[in-house]
Amino acid sequence: MAENNLELTRNQKEVELFFGPNHPGMHGNFSVHLKLEGDTVVQAEPVPGFLHRGFEKLMERRLWMSNLALIPRICVPEPDINEMVYAMAVERLSELQVPPRGNWIRVLILELARINAHLMSIGGLGGASGLYTDMYWAMTERDWILDIFEKITGARVYHMYIVIGGVRQDLPEGIVPFILERLDGLERRLKEFHDLLYKNPVLHARLKDRLILNRSMCEEMCITGIGLRATGIPHDIRRVDPYAAYEEMDFDIPTGEKGDALTRGHLKLLEVEQSIRIIRQVLAKIPSGPVRQKPLGNALRWRVPAGETFEHVESSRGEYGYYVVSDGSEKPYRIHVRGASYPQGLYGVQRYMPGTRIEDVALWLGTMDFCPPEIDR
Amino acid sequence: MSPKKRVAMELDPLFERLQPAEVFFTPDGKQLFLLLEPERFMDGLVTLKNAGFSHLSLVSCVDWLERGEFELVYHLLRWEDGKRVALKVRIDRENPVFQTVLHLWPTARFYERDIHEFFGVVFEGNADREPLFLEHWDDIPPMRKDFDPQPYSQKIFDEREYQHPFVPHIVQANPDRLPWEETIDEAKKGGETNGGK
Repeated sequence: MAENNLELTRNQKEVELFFGPNHPGMHGNFSVHLKLEGDTVVQAEPVPGFLHRGFEKLMERRLWMSNLALIPRICVPEPDINEMVYAMAVERLSELQVPPRGNWIRVLILELARINAHLMSIGGLGGASGLYTDMYWAMTERDWILDIFEKITGARVYHMYIVIGGVRQDLPEGIVPFILERLDGLERRLKEFHDLLYKNPVLHARLKDRLILNRSMCEEMCITGIGLRATGIPHDIRRVDPYAAYEEMDFDIPTGEKGDALTRGHLKLLEVEQSIRIIRQVLAKIPSGPVRQKPLGNALRWRVPAGETFEHVESSRGEYGYYVVSDGSEKPYRIHVRGASYPQGLYGVQRYMPGTRIEDVALWLGTMDFCPPEIDR
Repeated sequence: MSPKKRVAMELDPLFERLQPAEVFFTPDGKQLFLLLEPERFMDGLVTLKNAGFSHLSLVSCVDWLERGEFELVYHLLRWEDGKRVALKVRIDRENPVFQTVLHLWPTARFYERDIHEFFGVVFEGNADREPLFLEHWDDIPPMRKDFDPQPYSQKIFDEREYQHPFVPHIVQANPDRLPWEETIDEAKKGGETNGGK
């Protein structure tokens, strides 16, 4: 009898909470059904689908060229990785060689996109912990970078600049001093970000030694990216399986030790520094020549040879990849997107969110690098 | 040495144990896809996991409608050196059942749930079969090749008449011609166009 009574009080204490897109702490259109006991999460069930647009089916119904306008929409903060993996897949299947200058410009674009995504994520960290100054600062800095994109590609958010065979057009005249000026400005601000965020006692109290993601958890969930690097493993696809011109770049891979949320947040800032370093190298040493190879002929009649390939790149959140199957026709036969945050966003939430406190749910999602559109696809 | 030979030689000790039925390379020879018989498949995964390929990037499914089979593809990655292998297995399209890999990779739970939702493949041992993305779905799984979205949306959603609100008179006056042809003709005549309205 006593046990039954205990069960009854336990059930009465549990509260169900819908933590969804209506919540200001939620990162995008995603929801988690929480069961709370007091302030503690005892059960978490991820419920995606708010953003499901059927990208993979849409891609099967479009020409190889038309897909270039569709795929950047899969990931909002960092759209260029989609174009990159797609272009890499088609190039590998049709044995295209990208000219060196095209590859170097790709590195420039990808690193600018990485800075963008990290700034958004650093801003999100401030938003989720109530430190709104940080959010406004990060968004402002991101806007300065978007100006560079606008000058190079003509668009601010979705660029469609990396195309099959290279990049769409050469860099405009006078862009190098402009980029350097913006990077200098960002670098000056990074120190202020560091002081604001990582010397902040409130943030230390909430993030240090908490929301741990250790090595065995990474292995279990198959997480790469900052989550893995924060545990001390310098795994970076740019280094172990180089693509574009990353083989010729000189950069460090910042790693942490503890794997707590503060380390993960700090690594983002260090990676921005490394990205700036890579962009400076690109601007100083970029070779001249054509930026694109066009041996495929009319874009409306492209036929990619039959075959299959899995391409992956290092996104700001880890391994991002496409599995592309072609049957030799004018349209892809099957494309499967490997979203970098798929493991932690679904399995991770279900398995490791219970035990955290309600006020840390938004921080958990924010510091685990989480992007709903690439889960829904 | 050609890249194909190099990739094959690096994995040579594993080949004997895996005994792939077929081996596929990408044209540049840098990526390897191994097709295994269904009964040898789990052994193959365990062998590769023990050889360091402990990172499961993705579980994919491809619908080969004409051959009447689904192809499940498991993409594995080794963290230390960035090497990649993909294992493939073919299952019957009419009776799409396969074993789960939850005991090897717990994170596969959602990949399998995803494939169950979009292709209708049942993974024995994974009880999690609730729809993840689709709501009120009442047709065959949508990523199958024989599912055509157009008739489905015509069945589900009402027909609506779309009209150009800006140039209704042009469209009604000459339904066989495109609106801008009319406008160009009018401009040639020197008459006033209605483009600004």
